[in-house]
Amino acid sequence: MGPSASGNETNIKLPFSFIFVSMVALLASQILLLFQGDFLMDGQFRVPGIWSAAHLFILGWALMIGMGAMYQLVPVAFLTPIWNEKFGFIQFGVTAIGTFAFAHFLFHDPQNALIPGIITLIGILMFLFQMFMTLRKQAKPNILTLYVGTALVCLLLTIGLGITMLYSMKSGAAANQYFAIFKSHLLLGTAGWFTMLIFGFSYKMVPMFSLSHGYSMKPAKFVYPFYAGGLFVAIVSFFTESSVALIAGLLLQLIGFAIFIYHISLILKKRVKKKLDRSFTFALIAILSGGLIHFAAFITALTGVFSKAVGPLLMMYLFFWIAFSIIGYLYKIVPFLWWTAKYSKEIGKKDVPSLKDMVNDRASTPVFACLVIGIIGVDLSLFIGSKALFISGQLLFTIACFLFCFAIAKVVTK
Amino acid sequence: MTLKEKVLSNLKRVMDPELNINVVDLGLIYDIEFPEEDFVYVTMTLTTPGCPLHDSITSGVKYCLEEMEEISKVEVNLVWEPAWSPEKMTPDGLKQIGR
Repeated sequence: MGPSASGNETNIKLPFSFIFVSMVALLASQILLLFQGDFLMDGQFRVPGIWSAAHLFILGWALMIGMGAMYQLVPVAFLTPIWNEKFGFIQFGVTAIGTFAFAHFLFHDPQNALIPGIITLIGILMFLFQMFMTLRKQAKPNILTLYVGTALVCLLLTIGLGITMLYSMKSGAAANQYFAIFKSHLLLGTAGWFTMLIFGFSYKMVPMFSLSHGYSMKPAKFVYPFYAGGLFVAIVSFFTESSVALIAGLLLQLIGFAIFIYHISLILKKRVKKKLDRSFTFALIAILSGGLIHFAAFITALTGVFSKAVGPLLMMYLFFWIAFSIIGYLYKIVPFLWWTAKYSKEIGKKDVPSLKDMVNDRASTPVFACLVIGIIGVDLSLFIGSKALFISGQLLFTIACFLFCFAIAKVVTK
Repeated sequence: MTLKEKVLSNLKRVMDPELNINVVDLGLIYDIEFPEEDFVYVTMTLTTPGCPLHDSITSGVKYCLEEMEEISKVEVNLVWEPAWSPEKMTPDGLKQIGR
């Protein structure tokens, strides 16, 4: 199987490298978390094991998946080939080595995590450079370019703030601003980078997987200013410690997200495909979950309990919105990738399998159920402080992650 | 059966892998012309610009027609105007999609 010779398609090995290495990070992060129950029960989130698991999950899995997906989706969504594929492979190597080394040092020797952190930063900067060079070639930038471009800027800021935090820990510089930087780092990494990216690509994937036509893209122009404005105001609130600004920021984000949900529902009303795939439906449920978590965040800020609820809310946001969106879409993207690599040259010559034959969509339901029940158990355990519930929930979630990885890996045997 | 009917019949072997419906029933084939006796010129579209299966489907159309005895040259012209819409699907295609 070699690189595609024509059109905008990316060499399949590039996105697959990201996707398969990210699976290792996902499993490692969940196994590591399984042994952090005592700290989580005590509300100690900033300890080496949780740092390491969180970075493996976010950088090693979600970010690497995001990068792999972008290498595949940017050329097809923006009709622009990747600027330099060879550079992409080098970027993959640097990011993978940096991320795993970073997670290792965060766990064993956090004081010396700066160097692997910088290697990770270089990998991410290489990715941002690659995407910048690719997107600038796009003949007609559109609203999706704005979402994806903003997501990339948020990613850059997230990493910059993360490195500032490491430097601050080592040198004591900007110690007074540490928590404001930390909160901004979390907000930009989750609601900035991931949400903006999922918004942007959902506008491409939802119509594609539901075969929707004749819908308006006007609401997308309203989603953006509300959501991006909300991010900005929330960051201001972290540095000024203004509860009013925090409420305003969360309200703006909620409005933006609510318009996004409404817009997606309008798109789906125009669909030709009556019966949607289960994995795609799971990604749609993740969108609703994201909206509900934004609503909960706003209510807790309004009632003055945001600081107590933010840990479990953030965890729910990471899993119910970000992770479940990624998992739902991956069930569609990976078969697409493998089918293209294996069968695109055979179509028209002989009978080839359909995409439905590449992955067992029906078998995804118990996996999704276990993921949801597992993470509800974990979240509930944080609220009520039950270690037994945490271990049961986390174990179920880890098993479901193994099943998910197995289902994705099995695609390449078809 | 005319040559155009034979071409259409052959094109039914090219399936959209996502929808599992052939390109003819999906309404992707806009026009079939024969500028020369053994030269077929197909004007077609895809369901959406930026379809990830862009190259696969157009290549599939080409391969499938090149196999025909009566054809020695195939050219595929991919157009986005007029844009594809569900109204372009045949009754068979609509039935397969559950409508």
